[in-house]
This record gives sequence, structure tokens and C-alpha cells, in this order.
Amino acid sequence: MPDARNAVLLAMSAPPYWHCGRTVQRQSLWIAAALAPAVLCALWNWGLPALRVMALSVAVCVAVEALCQKAMGREIAVDDGTAAVSGLLLAFMLPAAAPWWLVCLGAVVAICLGKMAFGGLGANPVNTSLVGWAVLFVSFPLLMDANAMQLDTEFVDPLLRLKFFGAAAAEEIPFTDLLLGHQINGLGAGQAGALLLGGSFLAARGFVRWHIALGFFLGVAGLATAFALADPAANASPFFHLATGSVLLGGFFLITDPANAPSRPLPMFLYGLIGGALVMLIRKYGVYADGTPFAILLANLLAPQLDLLRPKPFGGR
Amino acid sequence: MSVLKEFTKGLWKELPPFRLVLGLCPTLAVTNSASNGLGMGAAVIFVLVLSNMIISMVRHIIPAKVRIACFIVIAASLVVAVELLMQAYAYPLYERLGIFVPLIVVNCIILGRAEAFAAKNGVAASVADGLGMGLGFTMSLTFLGSIREVLGNGTWFGMAVMPESFEPLRIMVQAPGAFICLGLILAGMNMLNFRQARRRGEQAEALAQQQGCGSCGGCTACGAGARDAQAQ
Repeated sequence: MPDARNAVLLAMSAPPYWHCGRTVQRQSLWIAAALAPAVLCALWNWGLPALRVMALSVAVCVAVEALCQKAMGREIAVDDGTAAVSGLLLAFMLPAAAPWWLVCLGAVVAICLGKMAFGGLGANPVNTSLVGWAVLFVSFPLLMDANAMQLDTEFVDPLLRLKFFGAAAAEEIPFTDLLLGHQINGLGAGQAGALLLGGSFLAARGFVRWHIALGFFLGVAGLATAFALADPAANASPFFHLATGSVLLGGFFLITDPANAPSRPLPMFLYGLIGGALVMLIRKYGVYADGTPFAILLANLLAPQLDLLRPKPFGGR
Repeated sequence: MSVLKEFTKGLWKELPPFRLVLGLCPTLAVTNSASNGLGMGAAVIFVLVLSNMIISMVRHIIPAKVRIACFIVIAASLVVAVELLMQAYAYPLYERLGIFVPLIVVNCIILGRAEAFAAKNGVAASVADGLGMGLGFTMSLTFLGSIREVLGNGTWFGMAVMPESFEPLRIMVQAPGAFICLGLILAGMNMLNFRQARRRGEQAEALAQQQGCGSCGGCTACGAGARDAQAQ
């Protein structure tokens, strides 16, 4: 090994050498841009408390990632923006009235346990923001319950209404209200129309894989349609299920994280489909009103298995 | 090997759950409070010391082909004894530990120490080994249980230790908390190993432990090698 130090090095970097110009930083910027309508909608619906939660979460995520990279003796790479996007996505799933320490704790857990403990960007087996969310949700069910935290509002929680008052009561909520984000939910997860806009843009531009998003929404809508056809009195329509909970946030922004998703079209589609079907199964048979984050965490864990679905090599048996 | 050395190796060098990574089932399952960890550890010390003693006594009589079955029978008899003792004298603890008391029979540490140590060594050394391993196991479980109880419930051995405004981190006393805690402790142990190796000057070994450089020769091209070269 000491001899190699003086030898001539012919190749200093790994291929590919021809770069299309797409960087992690630009990817994060585009994702942030696609989230901007939902941020504005959240500000419009929830006011300054939403801004407080989002700013705090992003700031803590970026600071913690920089500290972790310093402690690990690595180059500080927070300017790639992935930590900021993770922080924003985490904030989107919290209620706007979340106390400051809850936001900080979630951000620290998300970055430390969800990302840096596994080796940083791209090495995490499950979505970074969802790790933070899951630890908070399991630890503080009451503080994470938007319906219990947000008392001074005339909005209703559509999924709780569906769970406890039946499909007829849930269908009374006008669909436009759901799209405009007039629903009790995580502060950004409920901005269905804005997320649909931003997410479709990302999928169309190829920043997120449309296979995954399509599979996810087909999984939710397909199973919701099947339930609704089997028993229309007890089950809400597929459109209701698509526009509530974190389905749109999850389908466009969380499950599509390339670090946790399979990398070929068919596995990507199946991965989304499984995630979507799990959402409906948790909503219908589980104890939680919205199972989207848990469904996505489970689908993330399945991704390595789905990646084994490869085409047969030519001439292979 | 002296008896003392056999005793002390279980306390740090071969600490059962954190260094040998054995006996994880009770480590993960019953450590939601410090007192549970301590109780489980005490039961394991009892079984481990006696099973090591009995097995090293009869090690020349047992035919090699059926030794595992014999070890299990010996461990099972001792576990039944400990179970009955707990029912008689520590019933609340017995109720809290539940199924994990009978499951001591299949605890890797019991069979592992029987197979790896007691079946090859004399009675005194085996008892010392069992005592050391058992104490190490108890310490580890109590430590893990303390962390989980303090963070997840705000108490330590049932006494409130956190300020009034503390919101307990409930996940720590539930199943995922055990995995998170154990993973962080194992990471911490690896970091300690790495630091110690580096202090002893075994640079190459330390790097290999940290990054798996062992099989790769391209040190100059790799960031770790360059950093190493700068340091020298």
C-alpha cells in the first residue's frame, strides 16, 4: 500500500464521465419549488403557526445534518438541500399547533436516526422524514393528533369523521373543501390541490418517477373502489380517500424518494401499488385513521426485494 | 487462564448482549424498566452459574453426539426451579416477565457458554465464567432498562427522576424503542473499540474496523487513505 502512493494514478473518479447536469442540489430545489404551492396554501389555511413549524423544522434539520457531518469528519454538504426538503416534508405532517420541542425532536430524530446513522444521503433504508414522524407519532399520540391540537378552527377531520360517523357523514364534506385544504390534517399534508399541482409537475418533469406515484394512487383508488362497490354505505369514494390524509403528499413526495425506491419500471410500479394498497388496508382495518406514513415505511422495507425482479439475461434460463 | 480472568472477561471484554450479541430475545423484550432488566439478569445468573457448574462436572460422562440435548435438559431443569422460586418469592416480577422466564432455556448465552466453555473446562473456571457472564448480562440489561425507563416513563426503578414538565418519550418503552436503543448502544461499543484500537496504534486495523478497508489496496485514491497519509 505505501508503494501505491507514489504511483501514477490514471483514473481519479468513477464513471460516468459525461454528466447531464442534473445535481442533487437542483433536484432538491425543484422539489422545494413543487412544494411551494402547498406551503402557500398552508400559510393561507393555518396562518403564522404553520410558518413557525416549517421554519423550525427546516432550520433544525439543516443544523443537525451539518453537526452530524462535522462529527463524522465529512465534508459539510447541507447545501445539497436534501436536509431542508426532509425538514419541510416532516413539518408538512405535523399539526400547525405542534409545540416547538416536538418539532425539534422530530427533526433531530429524522436526521440523526433516519439518515446519518445509516451513513448519510442515499444510505437510509426508509424515508428520513417518516422516521422522525413515526417516532413522534408513537411517542406522543395526543400531541400529534391534529384533531385534538387544533381546536380554534371550523374545519373537520375527514378521516376521523369517516371512521366514527360513517361514509355518509364523510361525503357531506364538499370535495372542493378537501382540495383547498379546508380539512384538519398535518399542516401541509392536507393541502390536496396544491400538492396535486406540484406533484404532477415533478412527475411530468421526471424529478419523481411517475411509475411509483401512479402505482401508489392506483393502489389507493383501486382498493377504495373495491370496498365502495362491495358496501357503499360503509365506505367512502376513492376520490375522498385520495384527497385526505397524507395520500397526495406520500404518493408524490415521500414514497418516491429515490434512496428507498426500486430502480426499474415494473418494480417501481409494484412498489407504489403495494404502498397504496397498504394505505387502504390500514384505513379500513387498522386502528389509525390515516395509515399512509406507516404504509410507506412498510413499502420502503420491501423495496430491496422488489429490486430483485430483473429481466432475464439474453440466452439465460 | 486464571479463575479471576474468566470472571472478569464477561464484565467488559466479552459482555454478552453488547459484545457477543447473544441473548437478544430477553434483552429486547423485557427491558422496558430497569427493575425488569435486573430481575431477568438475576434469573439468568442463577441458571447460568448452576448449568455451567453441572455441565462441567458431567462433561466427561455425556456422549458428544447428544450433548446439546443434555445441556438443554440441564438448563430446563434449572429454569423450572427458578420459575417456581420466582412464583413463590417474587410473584409481581414473575408476572411482568411472563413467557420470558421459561424462555431462558433457549437463551443463547446459556447454551453458548455450555458448549463453548463449560464443556471444555474445569468446575471452578466454569463457575467463574458463568458468574462473570451472568453479571455482565445483568449489568447490560439493567443499563438498557434504565435508559428506556428514564426516557420512556420518566422514572428509574419506579422513582420519578425527571422534572414535572418532561413529556415521556413513549416509544422507548415500546418494542421499537428496544431496537433503537440497542442499535445505538452497539454503535457506541463499536466506536469505543475503534478508539481503543487507534490509541494502541493499530491504524490499519482500526481503519479496517471502521470502513472495511481490509481487502482494498487503493488507499491513495480513497479519501480515508489520503487522510491517513496526511496524518503521518
